[in-house]
Amino acid sequence: MKTILFGIAIAASTFTACTENATQSQEATNTDTAKANTPATNGAITTASTNEVVAHYLHLKNALASDDSKEAATAGRAVVNAIDKIDAASLTADQKKVYDEVKDDIKEHSEHISTNADKIAHQREHFDMLSLDMYDLVKSVKPGQTLYKDHCPMFNDNKGAIWLSEVKDIKNPYYGKKMLTCGEEQEEIK
Amino acid sequence: MSKAKKIVLALLLVIIAIQLVQPARNNSNVVQKADMVTHFNAPANVAGVLKTSCYDCHSNNTRYPWYATVQPIGWLLANHVKDGKEELNFSEFANYSKRRQLSKLKSLQNSIKDGSMPLPSYTLLHNDAKLSGESKALLMQWTTKTIDSLSK
Repeated sequence: MKTILFGIAIAASTFTACTENATQSQEATNTDTAKANTPATNGAITTASTNEVVAHYLHLKNALASDDSKEAATAGRAVVNAIDKIDAASLTADQKKVYDEVKDDIKEHSEHISTNADKIAHQREHFDMLSLDMYDLVKSVKPGQTLYKDHCPMFNDNKGAIWLSEVKDIKNPYYGKKMLTCGEEQEEIK
Repeated sequence: MSKAKKIVLALLLVIIAIQLVQPARNNSNVVQKADMVTHFNAPANVAGVLKTSCYDCHSNNTRYPWYATVQPIGWLLANHVKDGKEELNFSEFANYSKRRQLSKLKSLQNSIKDGSMPLPSYTLLHNDAKLSGESKALLMQWTTKTIDSLSK
């Protein structure tokens, strides 16, 4: 009898280990519906919210550049929350098309970054894909500040990866202090 | 009856009672038109690896082990499959936007490289699902090809 109970307990603990994300995605869905009900406003609010997403993205980028995975996780969570605040109704048709296309992807990558506070390599993999989405977003909805598109040639088995930065100086978020100044500016986005 | 015996008896009754609540099975009889394997016309060996190592948690069809009928294990499995499908569902792959398909494929490659998938708790009980070096290479090669064709 005891052995059976013990067996069940062990099996239970093995499987629960993989279910911890369930509640979080539930929460995310809830906020989704709540935000969708917020009334539409003018264009100024939109820019503010896009800027907010950009600001949290930059915070994330700087955290990765200083090898701080905990800070990166916090910033990742903030990106998830901010992306929902963008009021799609006040975007132009073209902007909305881009926004609709990148929104879920941005959310998913940021979500992963936020739930992997101890795995900086994994965070960086998602940051790579997130940066591509962010680039498409700021190319469509102009950022409130000058941004630089930087390129790191080594990441992804030398396939390269990009990131967005608010400063001209290179601070590589893919390798942190190992190769902080490695990379080159490719484009200035105004 | 001693107190200890009563507790054991009560626990036994609870365990029997929960067996009556069987979770719904993740087994769709519908042809999966949006399935990744069908959509990209993947070769049989690639499809085989995916089905053995990934599809139990990431598709609309799970091959259930016998202990899935034992509760609460069945509940935990159901929850696990639900989470897996939320993250990535190969049966619905063609319904994702092109951008999402690309990022899912890249994430797939990353998890093969990192060895984070299939989960150790899964391969512990499904020895055949462990990816051999050969299977990994096969998946990497095929996904790279698919990513390239999607990025065009």
